[in-house]
Amino acid sequence: MNDWRVFLAVLRRDLRIELRTREAMLAMGFYALLVIVIFSFAFNADAALTARAGGGLLWVAFLFAALVALDRAFLRESAEASLTGLQTTPASPAAIVGGKFASSFLLILALEAVLLPLFAVLFNAPPATRWWGVIATMLLGTWALAANGTYFSAMSVHARQRGLLLPLLLLPVSIPAILAMVQATQVYLSGAGVANYWLKLLVGYDIIFTLLGLALAEVVLAVE
Amino acid sequence: MPSSFASPPDAPARESSRPQLAILATLALLLIALYWALIGAPTEATMGTIQRIFYYHVPAAFAAWTAFGVNAIASIAYLARRSLKADAWAVAGAEVGLAFLTINLITGPIWARPVWGVWWVWDARLTLTLAMWVMYASYLILRQLTPEGSLQPRLAAALAIFFAADIPIDYMSIRWWATQHPSPVLFGGPDSGLAPRMLVALLLSLAAFTCLMAILVWMRYRQQLARVEITRLRQRLALAEE
Repeated sequence: MNDWRVFLAVLRRDLRIELRTREAMLAMGFYALLVIVIFSFAFNADAALTARAGGGLLWVAFLFAALVALDRAFLRESAEASLTGLQTTPASPAAIVGGKFASSFLLILALEAVLLPLFAVLFNAPPATRWWGVIATMLLGTWALAANGTYFSAMSVHARQRGLLLPLLLLPVSIPAILAMVQATQVYLSGAGVANYWLKLLVGYDIIFTLLGLALAEVVLAVE
Repeated sequence: MPSSFASPPDAPARESSRPQLAILATLALLLIALYWALIGAPTEATMGTIQRIFYYHVPAAFAAWTAFGVNAIASIAYLARRSLKADAWAVAGAEVGLAFLTINLITGPIWARPVWGVWWVWDARLTLTLAMWVMYASYLILRQLTPEGSLQPRLAAALAIFFAADIPIDYMSIRWWATQHPSPVLFGGPDSGLAPRMLVALLLSLAAFTCLMAILVWMRYRQQLARVEITRLRQRLALAEE
């Protein structure tokens, strides 16, 4: 079975499910919006704060959104025992996990696309912000979160307290990536500093953990 | 202490004295190290008596890192061979390592507060230690929350391999971050000009902690094997009763 076709099939199927249950996407989008709004209250958001800590604030909001989206990645498989189907198919586990990663990546990106303009407005992003840099960081950072998040989402399916386990596994491993995302975004928001090192780190991180997740995909799709 | 639980029921339990000997030796070493740490080593010139925590703070970190190394190697071995012994070493290394790292993380701030005036700084070493603590805590939680069986060791081993890839990247990124945000200048580091009697105290402590770690890992390894065996026997019993 062609890996590439399996990958596309899984991706298309997941996207189709998300688009059909539009209320889920609406709820997630609203959740993301709420996070930004609550943050702007909690942190008394103003231009000075954004110049100092905007990178961190933005990415905490993105993280909330990502965790909600990733939770659903393998959660929807528990209905109709489709998880067993995925586990026992002769298709390559890497292609399946890859397909799920791609759909999660696109979903989180969609949420972030809603969040970013809101952040720019409510948090008074400085006019000197280099948005292309922020977006580049967004792409690389979301890749990192989605790659590991999909893998750990598959891992937590086998556990009790599934919803709790995903962030517990994802966040520690993502520490270097989160550091890089936040620092790079901060550089592009405030216009001070150099972000090259962080972007290179993110690229390296993305490559290493995507390969690792694909190589070990069969472990998380294994049957008891 | 029977050295094999697979021996036939009517064979006499072989009393192996080696574990007891090792435990006594480690106890002796710990007491000697304690003496040297509190009395034998001279008092540090600038920091005073509080500096003596150093003789526990540093060896605890060393013991933790070594135990985590055991976990990493055992996890790779498990995925390669599916050996239950490898998995037992892995969980033993993770648990004991986390315990020693906790000691490291607690003694650190206790030392820091009177010396630096703050409980915590976000310098490279502290941040990395905290990140590692969080990682291995999540490893143990994963093991706790996944049901015992063939899947738990496999998932745990995969996670451990993620850590092995992550920690070098962590080190690089946190080091870079720390250079961008300089912290208050800390004292000159444990290996800058250590008085000879201090070095003796440090080495004794290092030896004592390493032996303690080795014994704890060994005991946890044995306990894990016993636990797995008990589960297996219970399952057979349940099946036989049907």
